[in-house]
This record gives sequence, structure tokens and C-alpha cells, in this order.
Amino acid sequence: MQKILTVTGMHRLLYGCNAFVVFILMAFMCLTQNRINQSMTARAFLEQAGAVPQSSTVIFCTTILAFSAFILVGHFYIKSKNRHTRYLLFAAEVVICMLLMRVLNLAYDGVVLLVAADLMYKHEGHRQEYTLLVALICLYFITNSNIAISQAKVISFEAYASYYNAETKAVILALRNTFYSINIVCFVFYLVLLVKNKHEEKERIRLLNEKLEEANQRLRAYAIEVAHMAETRERNRLAREIHDTLGHALTGIAAGLDACIITLEVAPELTKQQLNKIRDAARKGITDVRRSVKKLRPDDLERLPFQEALLEMTKDYSASSGMEITFDIFSWSDNLRQDQEDVIYRVLQESITNAKRHGQATKVKITIGGNENYLLIVIADNGRGCENVKQGFGLKHMRERLELLHGTIHYWSDEGFIVEAMIPLNREVNK
Amino acid sequence: MKKILAGILAAAIIFIVIHQMRSPVTLTIGIFAGNNWDVPQGAPYAIIDEVIKNFEAENSGVKVKYVSGIKKEDYSEWLAEQFISGEEPDVFFILADDFNLYASIGALKNLEDFIATDKNFSTEVYYPAAFKFGQYENISYALPCESTLTFMFVNKTLLAKEGVALPKNNWTWKDFLEICRKVTRDTDGDGAPDQFGCYDYSWQDAAISNGMKFFRDDGRTSYFADSRMEETIKFMIELRAVNGGGFAVSPKDFDVGRVAFRPFTFAEYRTYKPYPWRIKKYSSFEWDCIKMPAGSSGGNISVMDTLLIGMSSRTWNKDLAWALLKKFCYDKKTQQLILKKSQALPVRRDVIISAEAQEIFSWDSSETAAITPADISCAMDEAVMPFKFKNYNSAMLYADTEITKIINGVVPLNNALNKLQKEINALLQH
Repeated sequence: MQKILTVTGMHRLLYGCNAFVVFILMAFMCLTQNRINQSMTARAFLEQAGAVPQSSTVIFCTTILAFSAFILVGHFYIKSKNRHTRYLLFAAEVVICMLLMRVLNLAYDGVVLLVAADLMYKHEGHRQEYTLLVALICLYFITNSNIAISQAKVISFEAYASYYNAETKAVILALRNTFYSINIVCFVFYLVLLVKNKHEEKERIRLLNEKLEEANQRLRAYAIEVAHMAETRERNRLAREIHDTLGHALTGIAAGLDACIITLEVAPELTKQQLNKIRDAARKGITDVRRSVKKLRPDDLERLPFQEALLEMTKDYSASSGMEITFDIFSWSDNLRQDQEDVIYRVLQESITNAKRHGQATKVKITIGGNENYLLIVIADNGRGCENVKQGFGLKHMRERLELLHGTIHYWSDEGFIVEAMIPLNREVNK
Repeated sequence: MKKILAGILAAAIIFIVIHQMRSPVTLTIGIFAGNNWDVPQGAPYAIIDEVIKNFEAENSGVKVKYVSGIKKEDYSEWLAEQFISGEEPDVFFILADDFNLYASIGALKNLEDFIATDKNFSTEVYYPAAFKFGQYENISYALPCESTLTFMFVNKTLLAKEGVALPKNNWTWKDFLEICRKVTRDTDGDGAPDQFGCYDYSWQDAAISNGMKFFRDDGRTSYFADSRMEETIKFMIELRAVNGGGFAVSPKDFDVGRVAFRPFTFAEYRTYKPYPWRIKKYSSFEWDCIKMPAGSSGGNISVMDTLLIGMSSRTWNKDLAWALLKKFCYDKKTQQLILKKSQALPVRRDVIISAEAQEIFSWDSSETAAITPADISCAMDEAVMPFKFKNYNSAMLYADTEITKIINGVVPLNNALNKLQKEINALLQH
């Protein structure tokens, strides 16, 4: 029951209903013709019929073939995607419909409703409403004109029914009218279902739209939140950058200036040289700051291969601060990612800066080693060190940066201060 | 797979088409046994068989079949059944009563195109009343095959006994009344007349020879109030009075030779005139046929009945069917065969007036026939065709009842014909 009450189910039922009526009518005509011949009333029948009937065989075969063709064409019409093919198929359907009605002596026009049902089934969109209207009008016009034109040559159903006695005739006519009515009821019900279906679909679309709108709103809120978070993160990063670049440069300059103050009077020439170096460091710092602002990436890293960039950076620092920095590279990974490079660069920069600023160190030894799984960086200075390391901004940022790469950092005081950073290689960040 | 199927289908169609083309074409012809004129006939299919044999000889690869044994009274129903079961013959005889029905329901092929395009065919050869008989609403649906005409049968022995000369072919009602008056008398002296002027001479016969037309061709209206009808009635009243008044003339009176005139169809004339039927009937007196007596406003006109042959509108072999139709209705050989072997008259004028006809119609060299082929041809030219619209029989039956009442004096003539016309018109509207 549930299945029949769908549009497709009803459509099929309509086809079934029509097939039944067409078959019954065809059988009635064939049987009546045969009975007329057997009962020797052929001449009287011809007189009443007013046309030459087709033979039973022709009626039978034509009806069966035409209806089968109708079902086939209808099927392809509903399945077809191409609009032009569909128009062609629809035209074919109309022609078959007319042929069928002609064979049945226009005794049954329910097939027109079937054509209309097919048309409605496939109807979609707005402009098609006009097409539908025009097609329906044409359909009825064609059938009516068909009736009008071929009136003289068509045997009325009453002529067939008149072969039987009055009582039987009444029953036959009543049956035929019942079939008509059933077909019309089916058609109307089909239309109701079709309209209902369309309405439900609209409702469903409306609900979906509402949900979509809600999701959109949530997404918008989320986007704002994310933007906010990104801003915070970026602010933190900026803070780090300022600390790393500007802090580094300024510490170096401050230390260099301290030295200059001492040496100014004793060796003015040396002081001058030192001042020049400090100026260079300051310029470098400025460039660094600019770059940070612009790209937030060290220029050396941008400009030079990584290892050279590191050497350049330390050379510059030692030149400005007078600290002796040595490199011991045991092994080196050639395919470091950019973020890894960045972190290594910043860690070295920060450690050197710390060695000068906090430990007053004169010598820094940088050792880089490791294997294919990790890279180990040890920065040891000969500075004061400290008993209780208070994690300042620099250390904290180093840890944060390393942690982003799943790396670790350790620092302790021995003969000076030692920072040991370990960066795992071949690992996707945040995976 | 689809291609293979389509290929098989195409091959099958081609095979069937070739097979159809090679196999001999079979035409069927619908005929009834005997003849259309209700006169006895010896070999019912002799003419048909010969025509078919000729046709098959002329058209190789064509076979013509017919169903034998259908009587004329069953033929109408048989033909209708063939139409209903879709097996109707390609070419078939059409009874006069059926013609309008089949023409109106589109069962008969419209022959106008054939007539117009066939250079070997001309409608000129036919007598107009014969050719027009095959028309419905001025369109030819059938061709005439053979005709028969009503003549006046004359008892020559009786006229000679009464000292009356054989009337000429252009005689009139006046002559007719005169002779009737002379011959009607009581010969055995029992007080009642036992010798009569005429038998079976109907008011219809009289009206037609007075130029009367009863109905419009489409059978929608009648002309009974016509003055010629009134003349006819008056003549019939007079004739009745002359012809023994209220005494009814029986066929037996005629058979034993006590009646001078009786209308007869030409078919009857041809049947009973020559041997062997001559022995069987009307052997006690000499007789002959002349034209019908002319009315005051008409002529020596009588009704000519024609047997029509048409072809089915659903035939598959239209051209062959047309050829067969022509073979029956137009071919000179066939028409001569009809002249020679059938009781009816051929429909071709040139055959009627041929030298052969001259020979055939003078049955007995010792006796000069009162009617010559030229007279027959002339009568056929003047003849009118019977009506064949649907309600003709019922209308005519009604008119006959009423007019018989007037002639018999039951109803006064006064305004009776106007009334009759109105009533008949009302009847025709149904």
C-alpha cells in the first residue's frame, strides 16, 4: 500500500489501469464482432456502425503492439535526460496514443490522460509550466479534432453494445463508464500525489536551507574565533621576534659600548674600530628588525645557505660583542625544513645572546651533531652561569619554539652555562 | 547483440517481401450463384468461370478465386460478414440494396481516379442509367456489369383473337386503355369478367412512364404532390375501372393466356422466350415484348435495374482489382459473353446494337420480334434507374399503401397527394 501511494507507484497503477481497460475494450470488440458474424447480423451491424470495422485479428494485434510501444516510449520518455530526445519521444507517444484511440474506435480516451500523466511526471522548472499548458491544450485539441475528422469512419461503442439485449447493453455501458471513472479517479489522485510530492520536496529544501544557514552562522563565529587566536599567536610570535632580533642586537651593542667606555681613553683607535663594529651590529639589528617586520624571517636565512647563514650570524655577533665563538659540526642534516632552520637559528642566536648578556662569557662553543633521527645542538659558554636558572623570556620562547617541532631543550650550569637542544628530524610537525 | 537481432529482423523482412513478390497474387471475387434477376439459370458459374479464365490468361501470375454456393438471398449477409472479419473479396457483386450502405461507410473504393487516369477506359460506352447507378453522391464506386429493363409482355394470341393489332413501341396510355377496354369481358357468361387487359401493372410503372421522379436523389425529400403523379393516379383509376373494376386479376389468369398485358423484365423475356423454358411456361399462347406505354407527360420509359461490381477500399492489389473490374464491366468479350449466355443485357451500347445481338434476339427465324436491338438500346438510353437510398423501401411501402387506397377509391384524391408527400418527407427525415 505504501508503495502504491508514491507518485511512481500511482504512475504505474495508472498504466496498469489503462492497460486493463484497453485490453477489456479490445477483447469486447473482437468478441462482439465474432458473435455478430456467428449470429448472422452482420448486415444490420454494418448499417448501424456506419463504417467498416477492422477485423478482430487486426484490432487485437494493433492494440497489443500499440500499447506495448506506448509503454516503451513512455518508459524511455521518463528515463531520457536529453531534452530534444524527450520532445521526440513525447511526440511519438502522442502519435501512438492517437493510433490506439483510432483502433479502439475512439471508445476510450483515457490514454490521453496517460500521456498527460507522463508529461506531468517529467515536468520541472518554471518555464516548463507554459510548455506543459500548451502541450496539454494541443493534446486535447488533437484528440478532439481527430474525433471530429474521423467521425464518419468510426464505429461508436453503442453500435457494439447494441448487439446485446437491452439489459446487457445497460450493464456494458455502465461498466465502461465505471472504467472511465476509475481511470479519471486514478489520474486525479496521481496529480494530487504529484503536487503533494512537489510540496514536500519544497519543504525539505526549505528545512535544508535553514540548517545550512545555521551551520553558516556557526562557521562565521568559528572563523572569528580562529582569527582571534591567530592574532594572539601572531602577537606572541612578534614578541618573540622582537626579543630575538632587537634584543640580540641591542645586547650586543650595549656590551660593545660598555667595552668602548673602558677602552675609550686608553686606546681611542681600538675604540673607534670597536664603535664601527657596534654600528655595524646596530645596522644589522635594524635590518633584522625590518626583516622581522616585513617577513618575520632572518635575512641571512633568506639570503644564504643555512650553514653559512649561521656562521655569518655568529661571526657578526662575535665581531660586535668581542666574544669568541667556535663551531664544531660533527654531522649535518642537509634536508632541514624551513621551520627547523628557523628554530635552530633562533636557538643559537638566543643562546649566544644569553651567554653574553647573563653570563658575561667571552667564549662560546657551539657543537652540532646527531644522526638521521635527531639533531643535537649544544651551546656552552665560559660565563658565570647561575645556580638557579630563572626561565626568562628567551628561554621560554626557545622551549616553545622547540616544542613546536617536538624537540626538547635542557640547560644547566657547569663551567659556564650549557644549553642543549634536541630536534627530531624526519617528523612532520604537529602530526 | 542488438545489431545481430536487427540484422536477422531485416533479413526476415526482405525474405518475406521477396517471397510475397514471387508468389502468385490471388484476387478474390465475391459473387452469388445464379443471377440478379430472379429467373432460373442453368450453369450459375459458367460466365464467371470463363471471364476468370480469360483474365488469368491475360495476367500471368494472378489467380482469381471465389466462394461458390452463396445464394442471392444470403449474399448480403455473407458480404457483411466478410467485411467484419476483414476478409472481404477484392472485387465483388453489389446488390442494389447494399450499394449505398457500402459506399457511405467507405467500404467501396472510389473509382474516380481510375476512371480519370485509365486511358483504356471510357464511361461513354455505358448507358447513363447504368453508369450512374454505380454512383453515390456523384462519385463512382462501382461499375455496371449487366442490366435488365422492364418491358410490356403482350399476349399476341389474345390480341389476334380480339382483332387488335400489336401496339407499336411508341404507344401511349390512351392506346393501352383502349385495348384494355376492348379485351376485358366475360367470355363464359357467368356475369363476371374472365378476360382482362392487364395484370401487375403498378402505379409505379405508370408514374415512371409519365416522367415522374418520386424522390430527390439523396432520398431526403419526395415529390408525390407533383402534377404528373396526379395524372398517374387519374390514369390508374381509369385503368382499374376499365380492367374489370374490382375484380382481382390473378397470375393464373395470365399464365393460361387470359390477360393481354403484363410488365416483364427483359431477363424474364430472355429466359422464357427461348427453349427450354418456353415449353414450361406460357406455351399455350404466342407472346412478345414491347416498350411500356407512354404517359401524357412522359415517354415509353421504364426502370432499368443494373448489377453493380465494385472493389473493396481495403484491397492490397488495387490495380489488379481495377483490371478485374474492367474485365467484367468493360471488356467487350465479357460483355458479348453476357449477351450470349446470360439473361440480362450487357451494359455496353456497342454490344447491344451489334450484329450478334440482332441474331440473338430473333429467337425464331419464322417470327419477327416486336422489339429490335435498336429499340432495346433506345429504351436503355431513356430508362431511369431505381432508387437505392436507405429508407427507400419503407417509404415506398408506405406510399404504395396510401396510393392503392386512392386508386381503389377508399380515399378521395382531392388533397391526398399533398398529405402523402408531407408524411413521406417526415418519414425520410429519420
